[in-house]
Amino acid sequence: MSETTTMFDVISEELARIVADKGERLPSLSLDTVFLGGELPIDSLDLATLLVVLEQRTGQDPFRDGLRQFTTVGELAALYPVRV
Amino acid sequence: MGNRPSWIHPAFCLLERDGDAGWTAWRWPDLADHGLPSDGVVVAASASAVLRGVVAAERDNRAILLLRHGGDAAGWLGEPGFAVTLESSGTTGLPKRVRHTFNRLQGRVRGRVDPSVRWLMTYDAGAFAGLQVLLTAAMTGATLVSVPGAGVQELAEAARLHAVTHISGTPSFWRAFLMALAGGGTPPLRSITLGGEAADQAVLDRLAAAFPLARLRHIYASTEAGAVFGVSDGRAGFPARWLDEGVDDVSLRVCDGVLELRSPRAMTAAGDGWLSTGDLVTRVGDRVLFAGRVDGVVNVGGVKVSPEAVEQRLLAVPGVAEVLVQAKPNPITGFLLTAQIVPASDVEETVLRARMRDALAELVPAARPRVITLTDRIPLAITGKKGRKAQP
Repeated sequence: MSETTTMFDVISEELARIVADKGERLPSLSLDTVFLGGELPIDSLDLATLLVVLEQRTGQDPFRDGLRQFTTVGELAALYPVRV
Repeated sequence: MGNRPSWIHPAFCLLERDGDAGWTAWRWPDLADHGLPSDGVVVAASASAVLRGVVAAERDNRAILLLRHGGDAAGWLGEPGFAVTLESSGTTGLPKRVRHTFNRLQGRVRGRVDPSVRWLMTYDAGAFAGLQVLLTAAMTGATLVSVPGAGVQELAEAARLHAVTHISGTPSFWRAFLMALAGGGTPPLRSITLGGEAADQAVLDRLAAAFPLARLRHIYASTEAGAVFGVSDGRAGFPARWLDEGVDDVSLRVCDGVLELRSPRAMTAAGDGWLSTGDLVTRVGDRVLFAGRVDGVVNVGGVKVSPEAVEQRLLAVPGVAEVLVQAKPNPITGFLLTAQIVPASDVEETVLRARMRDALAELVPAARPRVITLTDRIPLAITGKKGRKAQP
């Protein structure tokens, strides 16, 4: 992974993969895109899957010590402290 | 030295590998030359250590505690009278000590004296299942082949080297053993026993194909009632008619999807004598199949899911050699299932993934492992079972 890859890029890439597995296409994301607000063709299981995949890719689990709130792509990206 | 205990047949021989030093053959008089430590605690690091400890404890009429690897003797007070205390290491809970009278341990042993039998030790010598194999070999005058601390690859080599005829192991052990034997010769097995976990149809079929002359049997046991029944028809689960007729002297019934039993050998029972086994079952045609532990069920986004039932489904996929399905805590859905797959050597990943997708498509979405990783091995717990704990 290049140094310029951001958490936003990783989330976009993995979400696109999850959505493609369902035979859908991911609209373009922004930091303000809401995960479960109806803009994206994903459900809560898909979002749960994304978190597992992100942990596998980054080695970090920001939810280990309990629930942390996020609704948008930008809020989730900010929970991963170290750039990947 | 004393007299040979009645439970050690004069033909019995323990063939134990001693690190790199090679094989040691233990016979009766060698096993007697040993004193029990004053506290009665013996580290069950090898079959010979366990046997010598039990022999000494019986001779001195004292209690013995067989300590597992990393075990702790804190709080142990040796008591007068010969009894064997084991550390049970649950796959999900903390170890606890269980005291057995020797008569009770011996009473479970089946099999006629046959010095041509050669057993392979697949269990920890200080585990209940390991002690059963030890006693069986000792009482029936067999040879017991043991490699303390060995992995499955070393056990496969030992089985070939010593032409082992009898093996008892968990289904997880057998799947790993079949992989370890691939590409080499097979030992001349006459008797195959599976226990400790539910035996799936795929492992039974593979064993029947690899060892067509062997007697194939899977054992169902519960902690409270001990060994309950054996199934020898080569099919997973047990015949549904046993729910009506019982099997041997055990009655069976299903209550809220959980198997219950009533047995004269049960240690404890509720008022009406029925015990819950904690094992989920489903009836499929003329068969009752095991579907995981009721305490292993997790909630995935509001849907109750059994990781072991999903595991069984994946084990049936051609090209899958071994599977571990785990429930991983998840902030969105409570839990999420993930799967680790050991592929057979001759299958392409894309083909395998497509087959697995098809096999999982019948399940509700919450029951499908959402992240499937390929790996080359799945570590087994000291019990020979797959770890059931949720991933950290």
